[in-house]
Amino acid sequence: MFKWKSLNLLSFTLLALVQFGMPSQTWAGGSWFWNSIEPLAQVKVVEPFVEWRTGPAQGYPVFHVSEQGEVLELLVRKTKWMKVQDKQGHQGWVAISDLLLMEDGSGELISIVEPRFDDFSTRRWEAGLMAGEFDSTSVNAAYAGFSMTNNLSLELWGSQILGDSSEIRILNINVLHQPFPEWRFSPFITMGAGKLFIKPKTTLVNQSSRSEDTMNIGLGARYYIDDRYFVRMEVKDYKIFTNRETNEEATEWKIGLSVFF
Amino acid sequence: MENWTQRILLKTTLLGMLLSSASNFALADATDKPLIEPDIHPQIVDESLIDTENFELGTFVGVISIEDFESSLIYGARLAYHLSEHFFFEGNVGFAEGGETSFEKLGNVQLLSDSERDYNYYNIGLGLNLPGQLFTPGGYTFNTNFYLVGGLGATEFADDNRLTVNFGAGYQVLLNDWLSLHVTVREHVYKIDLLGEEKNSFNTEVTSGLSVFF
Repeated sequence: MFKWKSLNLLSFTLLALVQFGMPSQTWAGGSWFWNSIEPLAQVKVVEPFVEWRTGPAQGYPVFHVSEQGEVLELLVRKTKWMKVQDKQGHQGWVAISDLLLMEDGSGELISIVEPRFDDFSTRRWEAGLMAGEFDSTSVNAAYAGFSMTNNLSLELWGSQILGDSSEIRILNINVLHQPFPEWRFSPFITMGAGKLFIKPKTTLVNQSSRSEDTMNIGLGARYYIDDRYFVRMEVKDYKIFTNRETNEEATEWKIGLSVFF
Repeated sequence: MENWTQRILLKTTLLGMLLSSASNFALADATDKPLIEPDIHPQIVDESLIDTENFELGTFVGVISIEDFESSLIYGARLAYHLSEHFFFEGNVGFAEGGETSFEKLGNVQLLSDSERDYNYYNIGLGLNLPGQLFTPGGYTFNTNFYLVGGLGATEFADDNRLTVNFGAGYQVLLNDWLSLHVTVREHVYKIDLLGEEKNSFNTEVTSGLSVFF
């Protein structure tokens, strides 16, 4: 584990700053200080009407309706919902899908680029959480990836393996290739290199912590549930270069959920 | 003679009509161009200027029952990223201190040193939001979420670091669009072999917290 004590102190100072340090009135309009300088973006309703909800989800009730021709100001976005304000100062939430049917000042339908799984230029960054087994021990992992081309992406991985006799942490950099990036079920191959940190449990014989270099190759698949997020599963084969006589090998499988930014 | 006067009258009216229509055209041309150019330019919606608030950062405080080691105060921090209106990623860190086992109290022995009693955990996982509303006396209405959470992480306790499964449920009241209150009940399960044989340790936690969206 890393230094809990210092993290503890740091995170709480930060939180205290975030939660109590900011004057509440800067938040009041839903626009933050940089937005209050810019005029709010305006849109005009083109469809016969558009429904307003009390919150950013289908589960919240419709409480108001804007008619054709009404001008709305855009305040803040949460997932696929936009908080809007009308001329009378009413505020509520409108679905992005409804917003895409509205006009902006130029008389054109407004365009908001949403991440799409089959267009890598709209989704350069991704991140995900995964869990599985590393050499029949549980592994937790998180990663962040950057799409360089339609097929190739670069990933940074952090994994933690908590075994009975030791704790292993792995830091990896991987290159991933998707031969068919436009498929909803998209297979991939990957290879990478990294560092492996082994910390034996103190209840066992006194062994010191050590680190080893490691390389891996793997294959897997991504299934895009939505344009925004996907299930990912993979199997990786690790080669661990020890300074003993033989190198070690380990097989890892994982499944998880990822999201595009 | 009659024809003549008729012809003259007709000609003049026709001429007049032509003239007036011509001048109308001229006028129309003039009104097309406003005297004062409006100082407004067609505004195009620039999505990069619209603030997105999909992250949620918060703190919590409550009670955790550490199996065999009494109940303790727990405090921590939570970061969430909302994938959609239904799902969110969540990460938590929590800090507590284990109490004494009944064995220690009765036998007047120390099983763990003070630093070994530090109980820290982290977890990452997925949550599901079920939105609703809360109506309070006085005519106030708040948006709410009932949520289910589950995930994996690690617990550091008694000089050991164990894989920990956690699951739970919570209720969130959104005071406004950026500030919310939480009450969460969560179970942390991990294996421990401190008291001889290995067993599952169930640690129930009840916390309340505050979070901001940004």
